[in-house]
This record gives sequence, C-alpha cells and structure tokens, in this order.
Amino acid sequence: MNPNRSEEILKELERKAKEKEETFFQHIANRLGRPRLHTPPIQPVRGVPSFWRQYHLDFEERISLFMANWENLGGVAKRFGCKEDLVTFIRNEAETMQAKKLIRWQHPVLEQLEIEKTLPKADVTIWKESNREQLLQKAAEADIGIVVADYAIAHTGTVVVLSGATKGRSVSLLPTALMAIIRTEDVKTKMGEVLAVIQKRNGPSMPAGIHFITGPSRSSDIENDLTIGVHGPGIVYALLLDE
Amino acid sequence: MGNLEPNSPLKERISLALNNEFLRNAVKFTTERLRKGKQTATDELGNWEEWRSYGQAIRMHTIAHLDYYLSQFVNNVRAAGGFVHFASTAREAVEIAMKIMEAKQAKSVVKSKSMVSEEVHINQALEEKGIEVVETDLGEYIIQLAGETPSHIIIPAIHKNKKQIAELLSQVAGEPLPADTAILAGFVRSKLREKFLSADIGITGCNFAIAESGSIVLFSNEGNARMVSTLPKTQITMMGMERIIPTWEDLEVMATLLPRAATGQKLTVYMSAITGPKRSEDGDGPEELHIIIIDNGRSNQLGDPEFQEVLNCIRCGACLNACPVYRHVGGHAYGWVYSGPIGAVLTPVLQAEKEKWGEVANASSLCGACYEACPVKIPLHDMLVYLRRRNVEQGTTKKREQWGMKVFQKVASSHKRYRLAIKAGRIGQKFVARKGEIKAKIGPLKKWTAHRTAPALAPRSFREMWQDLQQQQTQIELDPTIQKRMEEMLKKRGDQHESEQK
Ligand code: SF4
Repeated sequence: MNPNRSEEILKELERKAKEKEETFFQHIANRLGRPRLHTPPIQPVRGVPSFWRQYHLDFEERISLFMANWENLGGVAKRFGCKEDLVTFIRNEAETMQAKKLIRWQHPVLEQLEIEKTLPKADVTIWKESNREQLLQKAAEADIGIVVADYAIAHTGTVVVLSGATKGRSVSLLPTALMAIIRTEDVKTKMGEVLAVIQKRNGPSMPAGIHFITGPSRSSDIENDLTIGVHGPGIVYALLLDE
Repeated sequence: MGNLEPNSPLKERISLALNNEFLRNAVKFTTERLRKGKQTATDELGNWEEWRSYGQAIRMHTIAHLDYYLSQFVNNVRAAGGFVHFASTAREAVEIAMKIMEAKQAKSVVKSKSMVSEEVHINQALEEKGIEVVETDLGEYIIQLAGETPSHIIIPAIHKNKKQIAELLSQVAGEPLPADTAILAGFVRSKLREKFLSADIGITGCNFAIAESGSIVLFSNEGNARMVSTLPKTQITMMGMERIIPTWEDLEVMATLLPRAATGQKLTVYMSAITGPKRSEDGDGPEELHIIIIDNGRSNQLGDPEFQEVLNCIRCGACLNACPVYRHVGGHAYGWVYSGPIGAVLTPVLQAEKEKWGEVANASSLCGACYEACPVKIPLHDMLVYLRRRNVEQGTTKKREQWGMKVFQKVASSHKRYRLAIKAGRIGQKFVARKGEIKAKIGPLKKWTAHRTAPALAPRSFREMWQDLQQQQTQIELDPTIQKRMEEMLKKRGDQHESEQK
C-alpha cells in the first residue's frame, strides 16, 4: 500500500472521531439526565485520605523501609557510601554472573561511574539518541541493564523511572538482570510525593513513559507456582548511593 | 452485539464445572490464596475502610461527571500527540482497530491482558484477516493455545494444570517439555520475546485513564504490558469509557486499592503511565498511539440508580475470590468474559439481549461477601436482587422461575420474614436450590469440552452439590450494614413493586 493510502485511512478515522465525539459526550450527559458539562466539577474527594497525607518517614527510616521491601520482593538491595564501592560491586556482580553484554542509560551519574572501563571485556552499550532497531536489539541481548532511578518509594519498595532520549524504557525491561542506582535523597515515603514532584517538574506535559517497578517480573499463572522473570528482568538490584 | 451464544443448558454447564475435580480444587486454592493475600495486605496497610470510602467517592464522582472528564482526557491525549477514537458498540471498536491495521499493513499483533478486548472479540476479527495475534500474559497465552476463554479476571488459566500446560507448550516447541513451571515459563519467555520484537502493533487495555494529563495507566506483574507499550511501532489501547479518574492524586488511591484487593501486593511489579506516543527524540516507545474509547452498553447504566455504580468497578477480581458460588463452580459457568458476582451483574447489563443473559443473576447467594470484598464498595448483592426482579418483570424468566421469584419476593417483601431468612443466611440458596440448578450460561462450552479429558457425567445431582455448598455458605456471616441496606432496599422495592403490579 502506498503511504498516501495509509495517511488517508488515518485522516478518515480522525474525521470520524471528531464527528462522533460530541454525540458521544452528549449521549453520556443525556443518560445522566442533565445538560453537557463544560466547567470543571468540584471534587468532594480528591486523592488520599488526610491521615495518609500526613504520613512521613525520616530519611533513615525511608531508606531502611525501602530496602526491606525490595528484599522481601526477592530483589537485592545494597547501600554505598561512595561511587568507588558501587563500581566495585557492579563489577564483581557482572563478573560473577559472567555478563558479556550490558546496556546503560547515558546519565550523568553513570557517565561518572565509567563502568565500561572496569569491565574491559564486556560489550557495554550506551542508550542515547540513535538507531531504534539497533538499540532494541542490544537491550534484548543484554545480560544486565543499568539505569538511574528518578525516584524510589519506601512504602511499596518501588523504583520509578521516567523515559527520555537518553533513558530508554527497554533498559529496565529487556535485560535478564536490572541494576537501578538510586540516590538516597530521591527515596520518598509514598507514591503521592513522587507523583506530585513529577507533575511539578514536568508541568502539564508528562514524559511519554513513567514506569514504577516493584521487584522482579513475576507470574503465578501456572498452578499458582511463583515464577520469576517471565517477561521483564528476574534479577533486580536496588543500589543506593549516598553521595 | 456479543456473538457468543449461551448455547448449552445451565445444568450441563454446571455439572461440567462441578465435575472437573482439578478445576474445583484449583479455583478453591487460588481464590483462597488471593483472599488471604488481600487480608494480609489490607491489615498491614490499615484504615482499609477509609481507603475504600475514598475509592468509592472518587469513582462515584467521576462517573457522575463522565462527559466532562472524558472530554478533558480526550483533549489531553490529542495534546500529547495521540489519536482518540469513539466506539458505541463492540463492532465499531473492532472496525476502528481493523482500519488502523489496514493503515499500518499489520501482519502481527501482540496483546497484553485486556478484558475489554475480550469483550469485543478483537482476536476473531484479526484472525479472519490473517493477522497473527498473540496473547502475551502467561496465563492468557496458555488459554489462547488451548482455544479457551479466561476463567478468572486475575488468573485466567486457573483451570489448567501443569501437565495440560506442558502438553500445549510442547506442541508449540515441537519437542516434549517437562511439566516444570520454571522450564515452561522460560520457554514462553523466549518464544514471546521474538513476538514482541517483531510485532507491528501492540494492543493493550487500560486500568485507569487520567483526565488531567491524558495518560493511561497499566498494571502488570509479568512485564508484558510494558513490552506491548514499548516495542511495537504502533500501540492501540482499548478502554471502557468508564476507566477515567480525574487526577494523578486520585491515582494514588487506586494504586493503593487495586493491587491489594486483587493479589494482596503493595503494588503490582509494574505500573506504567503512558502519555502520548514516544517523543521524537526517544529511542523506544510507540511512534503512534491510538486510544479507542468504548461504550458497548456501559452508557445504559448511567442515570440508572440501581446500576450506575457498576461502572465504578476497577476489575480487581476480589468479589470472585469472596463469592462462595464462584469458588465452587469457577469462571466458565458465567458464560461471558466477566465472571463471579461482577460478571453476574455486568453480563446482563452490557449485553443487548437481556433475556439470554439475565439468568446469570441467579447464580449468587446474596450473602453480601462480594460487597464486603469490593475495594470501591459496589453493592453487587443489591444489584443482583434488582436483576432478578427485572427478569421477572420483563417476563424474561421462565414460568417456573417466576414462581420461584415470587416466592422470593414474598419472603423479601415482608421485612420480618426477610430478616429471619437473612439471619438463617439462606434466602438466596433456597431460592436457587428450589429450582435445582444455578441459572448461569456457558458460552465457550464447545471449546472447553473439546479440550477436556473424559467428560463423565456427574454422579451426583446438582441439587446434592448445591446442598453441600449451602452448608458451606451458612458459615458466612452477613455484614450488619449490608443487612440493613438490603432490608431498607427490599422494603422500598417490595412496596413499589407491589403497587406497580396493582
Ligand atoms: S465489583 Fe468490586 S470487587 Fe468485583 S471486580 Fe469490580 S472492583 Fe473488584
């Protein structure tokens, strides 16, 4: 099919949608037995209960709750006082796992760590603006994917990653093992705080993908047996960095 | 709408379900596991009742102002670069999806779990056009291979044992695979990897749609929803028009309720919020995002005081796990994509041909366990009573059953007698047991029987089975608030109904 035909079909669908839109909304208003609403209604209840808004943990409490939750989920949680220790840990783990292929974000923290230098034999791909197919291929083949979490949530043991040109979604998804580096100052008590900061920083337009990751990929679909690593990474590290 | 026919007698279907020993055990075991998980998770969180009330309030408000929030959502999706389509019926939804397939010249599709796509039967349409469609949730993949339909919202392959799964997957592998969970899951992982990476289109459902930013939110444990929304160049998201929540703040409430109610998790492994297609500089994510907003009978519930609340449902499955009837017979007994108490209500109200489906409402015991379990406090048991009443009023119930219903109403309309009956915890059971069968339908029976081994006839009658069940059910105490609500409602309805008849 020529590209024009494809364009035509989409244009036609757009036209139909625009045509149908108001009827669709009007029908809803009719069913609700009132005129169509054009002004924002006032929400009697918005967001979480007030006791929850007040729930805050201290810095150290947040870190330890996050780590406990992550480990309960079957992940590895470690805390490092300096970059050197973190790099050494990553290198040791990669060598123990005999990781041959790694992929990482092009992120300031990771640029400083220079993991590729400590693993001269490994093939390390850096996710930055380039060929889509090639990046996906690399991520799919990778043994380890390394990202820097934008935030973490103590209460649920969750790592939050936002997508971007140098922050591919596939890096936290396709490799067998995931290492998420978390700056301890980014660990929040609860989800609401993270949602609020993301909204504040990104204004009305959110990043295309915001991913909350809570432990290793899992399934209980076969006779209730828990299986790890069904589609996403089965081995997950939360590596907290204090500096 | 709904080309599934409730094509086999209920009795047949029920005896089939009761007959399958493994199914019964698996359903019991799984629902028990999920129920305990929920209990632990909600205890640990604390203030569960308050969270429920917040969830209920947010959902109620959204549905009552749905036209506003939906149009806000639509504007924001477009602002983020996505396409939006509107489908009044299942058929329209399929037509739109097929047009997109045509525009993209799609040959292969990967899907992540989506009840609404089951509801509109998109797979059938794709297959007819020779487009390969692969379900990617492990359980869904298994039942797709078996040519069956899901039997539980959260654990779709609840009715399959490891050996059956190994046989199915061995056929795909072309070599015998052992009945070992890790090996089977590993095989599926690598098999589906290829599919994810080569598919032209990804189809997802939508757990929540955030009006203020035009984002869709997906919950999954395996990561397949992320795969489907990351790898293919085109993403189609099918969403029921009621999936909306107003703000990101409200998402925190839903994210607190849904995973805990469904599986007892604090949060599912993945929660993904997708806003528009990938930005031009991004290396992955869909280049094109189409969101199909589907009515398919939902608007009929709007403005109906008895049923509007059914649109508050967040599809967690907790009511299935709590329901003594579901736990006894499993999901296929309900005959459509939605099973358990929510299925018993949703199926007849979403299907146009009510007379074919209304009877599903009788497959419940009115014990109120579903309401207690529901994270957004939908009064499912009230709705089941309304449905029964409507069936009688519309003459859609057979003579014999009308008689049963009258008996029921006679009991129910007398406040005192009803209370006594409730106290005994048996009113529903009596009504149903009198007829000697549960009124539910089995749609996909043909496919199901075809893959079962030796479908012997039940040596015991359903009546006998039902009596056992009744005994189990009396152990469930009715929540006092439900009891009160039921009494009030029935008093009102009973009077009204009588005066209507006069
Ligand atoms: S009705 Fe309530 S309990 Fe049942 S699936 Fe819906 S939200 Fe969950």
